[in-house]
Amino acid sequence: MIAENTQTQMRKGILEYCVLLIISRGEIYASDIIAELKSAKLLVVEGTLYPLLTRLKNNGLLSYNWVESTSGPPRKYYELTDVGRGMVQQLDTTWQELSYAIETSKKTK
Amino acid sequence: MKRTLNINIGNSIIHIEEDAYELLRAYLNEIKSHFAKGADDFEIVTDIENRIAEMFREILFTQQKQAISIEDVSMIIAQMGTVRDFESMETEDEGAASFEAPVIKRLYRDTENGMVAGVCAGLGHFLNIEDRWIRLAFLILIFFGGAGFLAYLVMWIIVPRAATRSEKMYMKGEPVNLQGFIRNFQEEVENNELVKRSGGFIREMVDLLGKFLAGSGRVIFKVFSGFIIFCAAMMLLSIVVLLAAFLGVFDANASEYFPFNMVDANYLPILMIACFVTIAVPLLALILLTVRAAFNGRPIHRSVSFGLLIIWLVGISTGIFYIAKVSAEFKEEAEFTQETTIKSYPVYTLEMDNSRFFSKEDSIKYHIQMDREKGRVILQDYDGAFNEPRNVRIHIERSLGDKISVTQNYSAQGKNFETALKNAQNITYGFVQQDSLLRFSPKLHLNKPSNWRDQEVEVTVKVPVGTKLNLHEDLDRYLSQYGSWSCNQEDDVDHEYTAWEMTAEGLKCAHEIKTGVPHQ
Repeated sequence: MIAENTQTQMRKGILEYCVLLIISRGEIYASDIIAELKSAKLLVVEGTLYPLLTRLKNNGLLSYNWVESTSGPPRKYYELTDVGRGMVQQLDTTWQELSYAIETSKKTK
Repeated sequence: MKRTLNINIGNSIIHIEEDAYELLRAYLNEIKSHFAKGADDFEIVTDIENRIAEMFREILFTQQKQAISIEDVSMIIAQMGTVRDFESMETEDEGAASFEAPVIKRLYRDTENGMVAGVCAGLGHFLNIEDRWIRLAFLILIFFGGAGFLAYLVMWIIVPRAATRSEKMYMKGEPVNLQGFIRNFQEEVENNELVKRSGGFIREMVDLLGKFLAGSGRVIFKVFSGFIIFCAAMMLLSIVVLLAAFLGVFDANASEYFPFNMVDANYLPILMIACFVTIAVPLLALILLTVRAAFNGRPIHRSVSFGLLIIWLVGISTGIFYIAKVSAEFKEEAEFTQETTIKSYPVYTLEMDNSRFFSKEDSIKYHIQMDREKGRVILQDYDGAFNEPRNVRIHIERSLGDKISVTQNYSAQGKNFETALKNAQNITYGFVQQDSLLRFSPKLHLNKPSNWRDQEVEVTVKVPVGTKLNLHEDLDRYLSQYGSWSCNQEDDVDHEYTAWEMTAEGLKCAHEIKTGVPHQ
């Protein structure tokens, strides 16, 4: 239970970072984000992505456009705002720090 | 076969099977209630709905399907994640989200586990009692004036059937949320239950009746058919015996008795056979058909049924022809009157003459030797009065003068006036006066033997006011206006004679005139 909780916490933070990374590569549709996260074996269930995207958008990190689709109704395409890009840079640094921390922790062990 | 619904989800119109729709609705409701705290939550739900719609379109397109099934919805839910999965990602509001809805139970009829219409099984779920105890209670209640039966019928009509999955879950008291749905669905798949669909009370009733007939009802049907065959066979046998009797096989002369004496003896047998055929053929057909229906007998050969039909048609048309012929004999009516003046006495006694002359035929019929008796032998004869239409009527009226008279009016019918009159003249009626005693014969006699043509005698006795009459009780049957029953003495003793007196208003009971009690 404790391990599970920690795993969830870790995954939650990394998921947010990964989502921002995927979107930082350019305009992207939610389904494609999901597909990428799945191939990265990070996402457990799709439903968790939507609250996350909404939260990131509300924090001003993301914005979206409605784009016409050939099959079905228009889709939401997400892209990073300037704030979002700043956030990704910050997170990049944090991630390097963290991976350094983990590497060192493992070595000393 | 499943019913499908059209839903509009994420701006797409999707065909979805009913059970799949219920599962989806439960899922979305749960998501909506989970995301119902912030202002952005509507957006999240819309995103999720859009995604689900997209996946539906994908499924429909890639699998070339017309409608979304419950398996598709389960698959999507697994992919999308349940509220519990969302909660694990949002640790900050973990404590607040663990809200368990109270379990609601509703009363439905459980037609899947029911014996008749699932009332008892449904009540069992509702009351948490094993349904057999409820069935027992209903059975016992039936013996209280059928209360159990009535209650069952009323509940059958009032209580709805648990048709949909959520209704079944409400019935069993399972929480109607996503977990409950999935569990219920899996249970159903494991039990491989068929979802029964039917329309309402009448339809269920008919289904049930059909099942009943197909099963145990088959035996009852056979027993009942056997009973019908037995009855029809007995009727057939009895009319064969009757026909034989009437045709004189058993030495009974039917043509002497009413109503057979209406018909000319020459064509009585033909009419009899025609009537026999008219009744016997349908009976035979009934037997054959019942045998065929109940015991899978061979189909009746076409020529047999055709022949039977022709025989029946011939029989009924012959019957109608002769009946019409006989009715024509009653077309005209003729009558003539004969008046006799009789000697005047202050008091008369009226009696029926039940004696008649012993004839030669009688001596043969009753095996009585003529020569042993001297002259007249008195026979009590009540025969004719019961099995023949009453042909003698007696009236007592007030005469205008002092004259006392007896009028005999003879009437009869025939195919024309001449024959009718002839028939009337053929009547002899016996009436005897012995001083103040008037004796009337109970029946008329025909001089020549002839058919019944409604021969009648009306005897009218006219007496002046003040004449006293003693009427014998045997007269009651022939008098239409008066009778000894309306003139009983107070002492309750059975008197053979009742005393009457002619007044200005008509005949009155002497006893009543004395006491002044009005005549009823």
